Amino acid sequence: MKDSKSTKILSYAVVAILLILYIIPLLFVFNVSFKSFTDYLLDPMGIVSNIQWSNYKDAWVQGNFSNYFLNSLLYTGVATVLTLIVSLFGAFPVARGYVKWSGFIYMFFLLSQFLPNPMVAQFKLMLAMKQELGFVGYDTKLGYILLKTSGTGIVFMMFTGYIKSISRELDEAAGMDGCGYNRYLFQIIMPLMKPVIATGVILTAIGIWNDFVGPVMYLPSPGNYPITFGLKEFRGQYGNNWPMLACGIMIVSTPLIILYTFIQKYIVDGALAGAVKA
Amino acid sequence: MYPFGKGLKRYVPFLFLLVPLVLYIIFYFGPSMMTVIYSFTDIKNVPGSELKFVGLQNYYDVFFSGNSGERVDSIIRTLYFMVIVTIVQNGLALLVAVIINQKLKGDYFYRAVFFLPVVLGVAVVALVWSMMFDPLSGPVNYLYNALFGYKDMFFGSFTHAFGYIIFVQIWMYMGYSMLIFLAGLQSVPKDLYEAGYIDGTSKWQSFKNITFPLIAPSFTVNMLLSIIGAMSTFDIILATTDGRFNTRTMAYDVYKETFRGSLEMGLPSALSVVQFLIILVFVVIAVKQMRKREVEY
Repeated sequence: MKDSKSTKILSYAVVAILLILYIIPLLFVFNVSFKSFTDYLLDPMGIVSNIQWSNYKDAWVQGNFSNYFLNSLLYTGVATVLTLIVSLFGAFPVARGYVKWSGFIYMFFLLSQFLPNPMVAQFKLMLAMKQELGFVGYDTKLGYILLKTSGTGIVFMMFTGYIKSISRELDEAAGMDGCGYNRYLFQIIMPLMKPVIATGVILTAIGIWNDFVGPVMYLPSPGNYPITFGLKEFRGQYGNNWPMLACGIMIVSTPLIILYTFIQKYIVDGALAGAVKA
Repeated sequence: MYPFGKGLKRYVPFLFLLVPLVLYIIFYFGPSMMTVIYSFTDIKNVPGSELKFVGLQNYYDVFFSGNSGERVDSIIRTLYFMVIVTIVQNGLALLVAVIINQKLKGDYFYRAVFFLPVVLGVAVVALVWSMMFDPLSGPVNYLYNALFGYKDMFFGSFTHAFGYIIFVQIWMYMGYSMLIFLAGLQSVPKDLYEAGYIDGTSKWQSFKNITFPLIAPSFTVNMLLSIIGAMSTFDIILATTDGRFNTRTMAYDVYKETFRGSLEMGLPSALSVVQFLIILVFVVIAVKQMRKREVEY
C-alpha cells in the first residue's frame, strides 16, 4: 500500500512537534547547567557564553553525590541479582510442574500485581523488624534491599514463559546423567536463558534505580539515601539556584543516557516482552 | 516425571521455591491482607498497643467525618486523573505508534527518545519540569507571556497545578504505551492490508476494520496498565508539589496519613481498600469492554 505525500508530511510534522517537546527540556537543562547564577537570572534562555565548569564540581561535592551513587549502585546491583535468582527459583519448578499445585502457585504469584495497597501494614512490619532484629527493616540498607527483591513480578512471568519453550527432554537427559537439581538450574538452564535474563536485568534495574517512593518511606537517614532521594534533598538545599540544580540533573542522568544509548534495543524489546506477558 | 533423583531429593525444587514464596508472603501478600484487616480496627502506630474491631467505622470516617471533605476531593481528583491520563496517554500513544510504524526515517531514534523519560526516572523528570515551569525564570512562562501576555504559577497554582501534573505524567509514560502499541502493530499480518487495498478500502477504513480489532490485546494491556498505574502512583505528586496546591490523590493520602500523619492507621487502611475496590470496578469494566473487540484470526 502506498502512502500519499500529504500523510507523510503530516506524520513528520507530528513527530517533529513531539521531538521538540521531549528534547527541548533536556537541552535547556544542559545549557543552564553551565551558567553562573547571575548569568542565569539575567538571561535564563540564552545560549551559554561563559562556561562555568566549576558548577559541576561544586554540585558534586556539595550534593554529596558520590555517597548517593554508591548507595544506588549497591541497592540496584544486589536487589537486581537477587530478584533474578529468586525469580528463577520460582519460575523453573512452576513452568515444569515439578512442585505440587504449580498452576495455583502461578496464579498466586500473578495476584501480586493486583493486591490491595500493602503500604500501611508494610510500614508497621518494617518498624517491627527494626525493633526486634535491628539489622533489617525500617531505615536499614538490608531491609530496603529485601523489600525490593521480588520473585513474583514481571521477571517471574517472563522466565516462566521462556522456560516453557526449552525442551523437557533436556531435563531428562541431564537427570539420566546424574546431574543434580541446582547444578542443572545454574549451569544448564541459566546459560540458555541469556536473552530473557538480559531484559529482566534491565527492567528490574531501571525500576530499582529510579525508585522514588521507597527510599522516601523507608530510608530516612542521609547515609542511606540513593541518588533519587539525594536529588530531592539537593533541591531542598538549593531552592531556586537552577544552574546548580541543572548540574544535579545532569550528574544523575548522564550515566543513564550513556548506558541507554548502548542497551536501548534490549530495553525496548524487554519492555515489550514484559508488557505483553503482563 | 521428576528427573533429578528420588526420595528426599524430590523436595529440592520446593525448597528453592520457598524463597520467593516466603519473601512474597512476608513483604507483599501478608501486609496487603493485614491492611484489609486493619481497616476494620482502631490500630495505632504505637508498638504493643491493643487493637479492637470497630466494624465499618473507618469507612464511615473516610466519607463522613470532620475533614472528610478533603478526602472526598482527593477521591474525585484521583478518578479525574485516571480518566484523563488513560484516554489522552493511550490516544496519543496509539497515534504516535501508527505514525512510527509506517517506516518513517529514523523510527528507532524516535521511539528511543519517547521512551527516555521512563529511563530517567521520576526524580529527574519532576526536577526538569519544575525548571521548565519555574514561574520567574522558566521558559514556558516566557513563551506564555510572548504568545498570550499571560503568566502562570504552574506547580504553585491552586487551580492549575494538578493539570500540569497530569501533563508531566502523560509526558513521562506516553512512550511506554507507544511501545506496547508498536508491538501489537508489528504482529498484524501485512497481507490483510494488501487484500483491503485491492478491495479499495480507505486508510481510515483499513485502520478501523483491520488494525484496530487486531491490536485489541495491546489495547487491553495498555488500558489495564494506565488504570492501575494512574490509580496507585503518587511519586510524581510527591516529587513536584508534595500534595500542596490541591494535588492530593487517594494514593498520596494513604502515604501521607501512614507516614506523616496521625498515629491512626485504621483510616489509611480503609482508604487503601476503597482504592482497591475502585481499581477493581474499572479493571473489570475495561476488560469486559475490550474482550468484546478482540478477534481471532
